[in-house]
Amino acid sequence: MIRIALAGNPNSGKTTLFNALTGSNQFVGNWPGVTVEKKEGRLKQNKEVLIADLPGIYSLSPYTMEEIVSRNYLIQEKPDAILNIVDGTNLERNLYLTTQLLELGIPVVVAVNMMDEVEKRGDILHIDALAKALGCPVVPISALKGSGVQEAAKKAVEAAQYGAGECKHTFAPAVELALQKIARQLQVAENQKRYFAIKLFERDEKIGQSLSVVPNVESIIAQTEKELDDDSESIITNERYTFISSIINDCLTKRNQNTFTTSDKIDKVVTNRFLALPIFAIVMYLVYYVSVTTVGTWATDWANDGVFGDGWHLYGGSAYTEDSEAYSEASTILNGFVEFYGEENVAEALNSESETYDVQNAKTAAETFAASIGMEDEATYAVVDEETMATEMVTATGAELAEAVQVLDDFDFTEPDPADYGLWVPGVPVFIGNALESMQVADWLQGLILDGIVAGCGAVLGFVPQMLVLFFFLALLESCGYMARIAFIMDRIFRRFGLSGKSFIPILIGTGCGVPGIMASRTIENERDRRMTITTTTFIPCGAKLPFIAMVAGAIFGGASWVAPSAYFLGMAAIIISGIILKKTKRFLGDPAPFVMELPAYHMPTLGNVLRSMWERGSSFIKKAGTIILLSTIFIWFTSYFGFVDGSFTMLTEEQMDQSLLAGIGKAIAWIFIPLGFGNWQATVASITGLVAKENIVGTMAILYSGGMGTVYENMAASFTVLSGYAFLAFNLLCAPCFAAMGAIKREMNSTRWFAFAVAYQCGFAYAIGLIVYQLGNFVLNGTFGIGTAAAILILGYGLYLLFRPNPEAKSKKAVKVNA
Amino acid sequence: MMPLTLAPEGVKQTIRKINGKDELRRHLENLGFVEGGQVVVITELNGNMIVNVKESRIAISKQMANRIQV
Repeated sequence: MIRIALAGNPNSGKTTLFNALTGSNQFVGNWPGVTVEKKEGRLKQNKEVLIADLPGIYSLSPYTMEEIVSRNYLIQEKPDAILNIVDGTNLERNLYLTTQLLELGIPVVVAVNMMDEVEKRGDILHIDALAKALGCPVVPISALKGSGVQEAAKKAVEAAQYGAGECKHTFAPAVELALQKIARQLQVAENQKRYFAIKLFERDEKIGQSLSVVPNVESIIAQTEKELDDDSESIITNERYTFISSIINDCLTKRNQNTFTTSDKIDKVVTNRFLALPIFAIVMYLVYYVSVTTVGTWATDWANDGVFGDGWHLYGGSAYTEDSEAYSEASTILNGFVEFYGEENVAEALNSESETYDVQNAKTAAETFAASIGMEDEATYAVVDEETMATEMVTATGAELAEAVQVLDDFDFTEPDPADYGLWVPGVPVFIGNALESMQVADWLQGLILDGIVAGCGAVLGFVPQMLVLFFFLALLESCGYMARIAFIMDRIFRRFGLSGKSFIPILIGTGCGVPGIMASRTIENERDRRMTITTTTFIPCGAKLPFIAMVAGAIFGGASWVAPSAYFLGMAAIIISGIILKKTKRFLGDPAPFVMELPAYHMPTLGNVLRSMWERGSSFIKKAGTIILLSTIFIWFTSYFGFVDGSFTMLTEEQMDQSLLAGIGKAIAWIFIPLGFGNWQATVASITGLVAKENIVGTMAILYSGGMGTVYENMAASFTVLSGYAFLAFNLLCAPCFAAMGAIKREMNSTRWFAFAVAYQCGFAYAIGLIVYQLGNFVLNGTFGIGTAAAILILGYGLYLLFRPNPEAKSKKAVKVNA
Repeated sequence: MMPLTLAPEGVKQTIRKINGKDELRRHLENLGFVEGGQVVVITELNGNMIVNVKESRIAISKQMANRIQV
């Protein structure tokens, strides 16, 4: 087995080269002890060769996680060879890392990438001169076009067999002398001496960990620093660049010396002080329009209501929709009249779910009833909106009734069957349900398979199509180079509350669905910014929370129009407040106030790479987030459909939910919400089912608050006050999102500890806001003062302190991290 | 000497000095901002700028640009 490490700067085309070398023979893991992703793969042509893709780095210094991971791997695991990819259009800066890799005592092969671009510029790269100057093989390649890639791999395998040559480049005599003195005191392998000597000379803080004996070389360093009048680390950096400058003219002949390249000219427009924001707004609008409002919604509806619902039409769907709407409208009018006149016999005849239902009977009953109603007569009845459970009083005339009966007659009093229109594909649950039915499987097992497992898989896979649409755009923006500019344009605004300029995209997408929103945080390189974004993205109300908001607004606030906008305002405020508070905490301290980042040149993305990146992210969501979503869905299914009825443990129907295990859990923990004003078990259970999907809150509330006297809305209004209602709304908007989104959080945090922190923070924050709303609201409106009020005041005070206290970082200059 | 923030667009400048001794300065050095090296301002947005250093384009904040003397 030959092990080759792939190393290079960010934006040098490393990932493209890795994909070209390994194809689909890849496996993803984590670097030991950190959350940086580790990718390995076997060479396509030779399965005996294992290639490790190191993170993109500029140097082997100890300042970023990526650098530490890379150098630990190179020093401790000692790969057989390093394939160093360098960007030919940016040779000087890229060779800086090369000079460091050459000192490790490991054979190095340099692959100069983007040769097509170099040639297009009219520059000439002298491969032989470069190879001679560096003392290692050099191969020109174009990773994007795939040229030279196999040659590079072959050279690396050869180099692994021959071993490393001497390190060619040397520094100024004074530095070399100091390095020799240090090397003499080292007890490491001969070929690693130079690396360790240089690191010790640089006073590298972390190098001691890799040495058994750390010699004291301070006097040698101090003497050299005095001699050269600079600190030792800068001396080495300068020496490296001096060496590169001394060889670059022999290796690279540049044709034109234009100040501005095409990419620069694009930047002059795109990051222009007046045009930057309008252009950004247009790009964002397009991404949002396609991936959230249009194609994305179609994709999600298709996956959730089609594949994991009743089914979908391959074609001919619109005719069905039209007929189905006409039918249900007509039957609403007829049923309304029947109800208004209290004709129970007619109602019974019309009930298509009754066992004695007969089309002919229904027809006769309806026509006789309609004939008894005069054209001028009117009936008023309630219509329930299925999504929000809102009821509306509607008045219809006898003429409309006659027309409705005529319509129903046209349909033969039979509801249109979707299978009769176009090409109908039944959904997975229907298909499996029928299969189970025909095999006469026990009810509980059917329930487990359909409502537990299939619904759980639906929860995992239902979001994937929309995610793929979004990921396609993100990959497009990334690979053309605009994504890096977004960070540059938006950074100043978002930096103030601890987020990155790129946080805008996850939050925007989060208004549609939190799952792709969280996944979009992938594009943020800085780990702290990414974690902050992941933790706060789901505060913004997603599409599934809208029916719930509408329900609370309708039932408790009498349909007040300010409730929905206030939910968005609350979400935005929660993001900003959390950002400011969290960035001052120890976990997020060392916020990168100054912003430094490399911007790749603009270029045309290739379809293959965009699709590949899209698929990688999508499948990683399914694999890494799937299990948690599936298991939680099954758990909630089990606890809601099983319970003790009359002392025996049985399966329940939907209407018996108040006897389920879940109701028991709700009753046991409802006291937690007493300080928030909604300490009843119905609201508690609804909040728990909301974890499966937020729109479930509406369904659960409808089941638990139906029955008794009034409508669902009236019953809800009776058990909530305005304040406890808003506290209930605020808590459910801000607390832990649905399981799918939590799965995404776990996947993206890539750490159980951070996942737990995020969910705990969200729930804690939601609880605090609910408490403040209810208790202080009660104090202001009703003048009640109790322990809860005092607690709310204390929490509010503490929150304000966290918000406005000076940044602890301002005092200590240390721990500055940078955006790589 | 003047801070990089005052440099006009499109004119080649030589870096004379980088203030400070922290990790950020190291990072700047790793990216090619070394004393004696060349730098060209490509564009500027509210004091933040995109500069050309050793043929790579680096975006730096106003705060950082102020520490680079040319």
